[in-house]
Amino acid sequence: MGMVAGAVFASGAWANPSLLPKEPPEGWILVDGPRIFTKATLFEHINGQAELFFKYGFQRCTFAVYKDRSNPDQQIDLDIYDMGNVLQAFGVFSRFRDEDRPMGVGLDSTLDEHSALFYQGKYYVALYATESNPDVLKQLARKVSENLSDPSPPPREISFFPKEDLKPGSIQYVSEGFLGHQFLKRGFHGTYADGDKEFQLFLAVFKNPEEAKTGLRAFRNYLSNKGKIAQETPAGFGPDVVRGKDPYQGDILVLQKESYLVGVAGSKLGGKEEERLADLAKRVR
Amino acid sequence: MPSNHMGRRKFIKQLSSICVGLMTSRLWSANSSHAATQKTPSLEYRTLGKTGLKVTAVSMGVMNCSDPAVVLRAFDLGINFYDTADCYMGGRNEEMVGKAFQGKRDKVYLQTKVHAHDEQRMRASVERSLRRLRTDYIDVLVWHGHNSTEEVSDREQFDFMEKMKKEGKIRFSGFSSHSRMAPLLKEAAQCGYHDVALVSYNFTHSRDLKEAVAMAAKAGVGIVAMKTQAGGYTKEKMEGLNPHQAALKYILRDPNVAATVPGVTTIEQIEECAAVIGTSLSQRDLRELKAYQAFLENRICTLCGGCTGECSCGVPYGDLLRAVMYHDGYRNDLLAKETVKDSLSQQIWQRCSECSSCTAVCRRGLEIKEQIQLALTLYSHDA
Repeated sequence: MGMVAGAVFASGAWANPSLLPKEPPEGWILVDGPRIFTKATLFEHINGQAELFFKYGFQRCTFAVYKDRSNPDQQIDLDIYDMGNVLQAFGVFSRFRDEDRPMGVGLDSTLDEHSALFYQGKYYVALYATESNPDVLKQLARKVSENLSDPSPPPREISFFPKEDLKPGSIQYVSEGFLGHQFLKRGFHGTYADGDKEFQLFLAVFKNPEEAKTGLRAFRNYLSNKGKIAQETPAGFGPDVVRGKDPYQGDILVLQKESYLVGVAGSKLGGKEEERLADLAKRVR
Repeated sequence: MPSNHMGRRKFIKQLSSICVGLMTSRLWSANSSHAATQKTPSLEYRTLGKTGLKVTAVSMGVMNCSDPAVVLRAFDLGINFYDTADCYMGGRNEEMVGKAFQGKRDKVYLQTKVHAHDEQRMRASVERSLRRLRTDYIDVLVWHGHNSTEEVSDREQFDFMEKMKKEGKIRFSGFSSHSRMAPLLKEAAQCGYHDVALVSYNFTHSRDLKEAVAMAAKAGVGIVAMKTQAGGYTKEKMEGLNPHQAALKYILRDPNVAATVPGVTTIEQIEECAAVIGTSLSQRDLRELKAYQAFLENRICTLCGGCTGECSCGVPYGDLLRAVMYHDGYRNDLLAKETVKDSLSQQIWQRCSECSSCTAVCRRGLEIKEQIQLALTLYSHDA
């Protein structure tokens, strides 16, 4: 397509066609794009969803549409979002990923009948097919991935979460309002399953240990005012630990380590939950 | 309204204590209200147009919320109307709402969205929403992001919604819109196809939109206002007034608005919004709010497009003003720089900075020349 050969002016910005794969999957053609959407125009492309992307540092989006030559009803929309860095790209990916069905593309990915999502470096990539077409989705995703040059590794915090009992694909990065609180700002959480029982390990991220201590004080105050604080705390977690009951998260045990608040929340915390929390705290550095 | 240095906590407390007269005060009287008010000690309900649903005037936009704790806090505060969408977070937002309200479904009203496609896909979308929301009916299903009057009066779309109603999958239908809202609302008032309109409506919008909202409400369209905070201004800029509450109060003054759905992400934010429920304003509060309104009117471009094409040098005033809004209001210089970079060539920028006979005039009285000068000063290196 001529469109691919040179830069294209669309939606008020010059699109960089180099982000698109050089060749689409066999039998498919590029029919629209590349078009660029910026912070000023993303609303035109994805409506209200744009706000979520802004919260994760959205820079720009390259959009293209591919069609099956033999069946024009078969269409795939491709969005390549430049999120500024790998943390933000993972964050958006983690908010969209539904279940853990990895397809082995990028740093992490998920594939179903109609969509393929992955993140790689600072890019979050989403492909949506009008008809069920996981094979072509996967092929196109792989071609897009081969063309992305950011070699950044995944956010290191992901590796802090112990693997045992972790529900695959459940780790999320939330960029604001972590656990629903203004004072926690941003952080990671992962869901763990112990039989029928589920609990959550979390990691609130602060700029430095002093801010993390302030965060712990805020957490203690919140639990004192809105929930309950337990007088006794389990041994082995050091002095900077709070145990209590959160009105919405259930039992909660949280401690400060380095620039993080490390915690566990669930309907009833016992030995298993404390063990996993200890594992997580041990890995935090 | 609070004194210059009133803290947020004190402001919330004061708001709570001055709750009674908003709708009964002469200035804000709701004689022409089609969103009739009904009070309980702590909540204000309004009727959502011809749906007849009694919804909380301050409701919740769930879109960006990541934690069910916030939704449950909203429920505990008495908020009963929640706006989500099929596509938010690839459907995970609907899932969170469904999970949070399991066992409470009969106590809340759920609004979600569908994109216009062929019937098969739209049906599939509705079925997915029902599954994720863990319910067998959607209270209000709206078309996502209408941009033209043709879409608003599209007979086929109307027929699809009617089918969904007959099949019991939805109770009411409507549309959402972020742009060209005034003509769309007027069209909705005329065609009678919609029970609800979800529109971007805040203190930056024009009288045209206010009139269109009134016209649609009079025709029985339940008006749900989104983007009510419009980014919000910093506290310093507003002499101590909490920007989010002020913006919310501003829009709640319009009796034709049945519900507002501010997008919140934390428990603190939803509590802050809920503190505005049912508030009244003293005469002093009214004076200060009017001053705030005047403050905003002189500073915020509503992007009405009235100045487009007026510059003989081809300077897109609207884009420059938007850049200033991002700088001044949103405090987002990156966004401002990007707007400038995307909109202006170096050549046009040069012509603008050398022009001695600027003819820019704003129909709303915005000091447009000052703002262009500010944009030139701030962003000339970014064009």
